[in-house]
Amino acid sequence: MTASTVDGPIAGAVAEGTLPGRVWMYANYHCNIACVYCLTESGPRVAPRVLDAQAMLDVARQAAELGFTDLGVTGGEIFLRPEMPDLLAEISRHLPVIALTNATLFQRRLLDRIDVLAGLPVALQISLDRPDADANDAMRAPDNFAKVVAAIPELVARGISVRIATTVESIDDVELDRLCALHRGLGVPDEDHVIRPIVARGRAIDHGLGVGAVVTDLPAELTITADGAFWSPFGPTVHGGLLDTDLLITRTTAPLSVPAKALLRLVEGQPRGADSALNIR
Amino acid sequence: MRALADDHSDLDHHSDLLVGPDQAPLLARPYYASGDPGPIVAALAQVPELLETAMPFLGAALGPSGIDWRTKEIVIVRTSALAGCRYCVQAHTVVALDAGLSLDEVRALRTDIAVADAFTDPRELALLDWVDVVAGSGPVTDDARAAVRRRWAGHEVVELTALVGATLLLNRFATALALPTGPDTTARLATEGLS
Repeated sequence: MTASTVDGPIAGAVAEGTLPGRVWMYANYHCNIACVYCLTESGPRVAPRVLDAQAMLDVARQAAELGFTDLGVTGGEIFLRPEMPDLLAEISRHLPVIALTNATLFQRRLLDRIDVLAGLPVALQISLDRPDADANDAMRAPDNFAKVVAAIPELVARGISVRIATTVESIDDVELDRLCALHRGLGVPDEDHVIRPIVARGRAIDHGLGVGAVVTDLPAELTITADGAFWSPFGPTVHGGLLDTDLLITRTTAPLSVPAKALLRLVEGQPRGADSALNIR
Repeated sequence: MRALADDHSDLDHHSDLLVGPDQAPLLARPYYASGDPGPIVAALAQVPELLETAMPFLGAALGPSGIDWRTKEIVIVRTSALAGCRYCVQAHTVVALDAGLSLDEVRALRTDIAVADAFTDPRELALLDWVDVVAGSGPVTDDARAAVRRRWAGHEVVELTALVGATLLLNRFATALALPTGPDTTARLATEGLS
């Protein structure tokens, strides 16, 4: 099913660009590392708040039925869930998927299981912030850089689509050139490299990092979590152990049409293009 | 989630139930636009789709309508007193006084003195009998229904009965969540010699 074959207000809004086509899911909130700018204060000891597999499959199916065009899966570190490779393969039967990962868990056993994604419309978006291990790992975790640069060629060699996401306060041209040379050398072309600012939510606040972002700065990408539906994947953030609700849309997530229609009402109340100021993607 | 406002010092222990203005969800923000929306809205804001559905209903039931303000406050205060809702009795005691009820009338609605010592209008007495039946836990008899119908039109009975029901909903909601009375209300009650 594609947007062009779907009728209804959501499909129409997506087709004309009023509403972004991607629906995000927070698969879980726990993580094996604790980045200093993490939006969700994720780490090894936080509550997992798992969006269960059936809920994710339902979101994927209903997103396609409503006329959305893409799915995103994020966390937490989503591959802490053993079923994630098979689950990503399953949801990609409905719509193409971008799955965000820190790529530090790709040891032999996970690499073998992730083969199921080869050739499917699933791209793994891997965080890599700096071309040098020390600078990269200072913001993320010890040995993060080494694990990432080891994992990416393994994934590329398996036929798995890989994107690189660089999250920084700022980066000068020389460092950026070196970073781009690095990802090209790892098999990831420039068009699959995104650079985005740190957003001052979650743990970033405690470290004095990031740009302030309000609703009009953020694309209205419907984001489903175990706690409800949000305006953007930058919405269901956690600070001081408490979930932020300022970008909450509805607690109801099923049927997906409930938060989708509420989001559309909100979007139609603001001027088009108002989300472009900070290039937060 | 932080407490709603610094001047509501007793909100601190409710901070996980009441949504402060800095955390107001998108669909709830219009209710915060003019300042503190009060604890009922601040609690319902936890579930925005419920808030935006409930408030128009509550506004229609409790707010201005074809039935005059005084009559509606008679129903609300009496129902809240019978339900034992501290928050609603205190909040609507102030509203009832603003609607023109006398101190004795309010005391009677709050069950502090007998109804007959404050109310004499047969229509209002019939309504109070009806409210006592509807808000009570016993059966609603044909005789009770016939008595109120003799003094009130059918559409008025329907609206006033719905008002009792809506008030009871809020009574249980406010009592269960221990919603805090605002400082302005507390001060006004003290001035009037009521608590």
